[in-house]
Amino acid sequence: MPHFSWSIDGSIIGFYLLVTMAAGVWLRKRVRRVEDFLVAGREMNLHLGIASLAATEFGVITCMYAAQAGYTQGFAGAFPGLCQAGGMFFVGWTGFCVKRLRDKGVMTLPELFENRFGQRVRWLSGVVIVMGGLLNMGVFLKIGGQFLVLVTGLDLSYLVLIMTILLGLVAIYTMLGGMLSVLVTDFLQFVVMSVGLLVVTVMVLVYVGWDQLVTTVETYHGTGGFLPFANPHTGWAFVTMQILMGISTTLTWQTVISRLLSAKDSKTGQQVFTRTSFFFVCRWIIPGLWGIAALAMLGWKPLDALSATDRAALPQEVAQKIEASPVGIPLDGLSLEEQAAIPAKVKASLNDTSLNAMPKWMSTFLPIGLMGLLLAAMLAADMSTDASYMLSWGSVIYNDILAPFRRKPWPHARAILWNRCIIALIGVYLFVFGLWYNMEGNVWSYLALTGSIYLSSMSALLIACCYWPRANNWGAFSAIVLGALVPVVHLVMEQSDSLKPLLHGFNKDHAGIAAFVASALGMVIGSLLKPKSSSVTSTPAQA
Amino acid sequence: MIEHWFWFGITVLVVAWYSTITVWIAIRGAMDIREMVANLDAEQAAEEVDESE
Repeated sequence: MPHFSWSIDGSIIGFYLLVTMAAGVWLRKRVRRVEDFLVAGREMNLHLGIASLAATEFGVITCMYAAQAGYTQGFAGAFPGLCQAGGMFFVGWTGFCVKRLRDKGVMTLPELFENRFGQRVRWLSGVVIVMGGLLNMGVFLKIGGQFLVLVTGLDLSYLVLIMTILLGLVAIYTMLGGMLSVLVTDFLQFVVMSVGLLVVTVMVLVYVGWDQLVTTVETYHGTGGFLPFANPHTGWAFVTMQILMGISTTLTWQTVISRLLSAKDSKTGQQVFTRTSFFFVCRWIIPGLWGIAALAMLGWKPLDALSATDRAALPQEVAQKIEASPVGIPLDGLSLEEQAAIPAKVKASLNDTSLNAMPKWMSTFLPIGLMGLLLAAMLAADMSTDASYMLSWGSVIYNDILAPFRRKPWPHARAILWNRCIIALIGVYLFVFGLWYNMEGNVWSYLALTGSIYLSSMSALLIACCYWPRANNWGAFSAIVLGALVPVVHLVMEQSDSLKPLLHGFNKDHAGIAAFVASALGMVIGSLLKPKSSSVTSTPAQA
Repeated sequence: MIEHWFWFGITVLVVAWYSTITVWIAIRGAMDIREMVANLDAEQAAEEVDESE
């Protein structure tokens, strides 16, 4: 029975929502120029930047996939956090690419590329960034709603209502105040979220205990639960891919970059990166511990996720194989014929066991009052992420994809109105995609794959733009096409029963690494093939 | 066993660092917001003076 009280926990949540909305709406009158709306008039200072970046990069989805990683891989599941922290610290400390990017005074990454590679590359970069970003963000709302429904013990039929309310609230203050509202609400959300995360983590450590967490990981995962290299489901390809992702997300992920571009100057932007970097360890370790605790308390019982009727419909032998499967991979021991005989709905429930374990356990672990704090923290996390993501992808649509349709600069009022309409349309897309798309398997793998559609090519373009005088638009086009082609082809082959055997163990991590290599080669070979005289420009982005 | 200590050390560091940074950011972030709003208001006032001239 979930420990959720509408009077106590509901009041805590209601109060939090009221304060956030008031703060978000308060700043709407200060939005006069499009720069105020998209980059907060470049007035963001260090501490606000840290709060905003941390709040944006921790959503309910982060909590869910990091807890799933802890549940299915033990402590080793937090390895991507170490890579992201390392990547962000390195980039912030050295100023690698980001110093030149901020000093150029652009509002988005493709805007920088136009100076070097021409308008068409800017437009295509915008399309690839928005495509990868929106596919990535498409699952946020549903998983956020799923968490809230599971923790409160509400019926799943309330999922759509909760998604609508969440999205509506976020869309209102983002559309009214743009980046200014996002920064202030991010600050409030950072404080609420952090208090909630810390209190719950201390409770987990006190009541479950460190020894039990370690014993659980040893029992279910062995050495692979502590060392990603020793884990058969991760290994060297996983580690390499995480390092590449750690650096490339810092360099090119629009929500991260928008904090750099909103900073007062490049030094402040770099400091935001170095001082927020360790937060990326926290964002994996904290939910990871919750996931391990859920495994310790609930164990791995995938059949419990099914209704009595669905369980009874499974052949005895199949049920035994599912029960004996490795943690997080319920269909691992089944033949293709056995898998094909299981209805899609039952397969989805089995695959969701590891994702839903943490919220299910939390619903009975936390007492009334603390449950309200956790929910307020998770709402804060979700709202800050959704708001920033809507604004970030919206800014690329306005600034880069619509750029060819603006012969001369639009008046500020018109530009702001367009930005507001784009955000509203993104909200509609999120709602429809969230309802329609049924995701299976590991959430982090889905996010990494959709992200890699553009992370590889945009990183190649940015590095070449900043440091390689010979880079040109031929190289840029080749990098974009190859960087998107490799993950898309892999995804298609993986989904096709006839093509799947051709992959011969070439998994998502291998495909991701191949995308980075292909983009880099595309940039180098394409640039070298173009005759020097027809280059658009050959000056690297200078400060 | 060293890997157990590694993750134990990371966990302790996470709780200690995150607690400290939360208090620090709660105080300094609020000051940053005040400064940002004051700067925007000053800019707006300056623009209005320019327009009236």
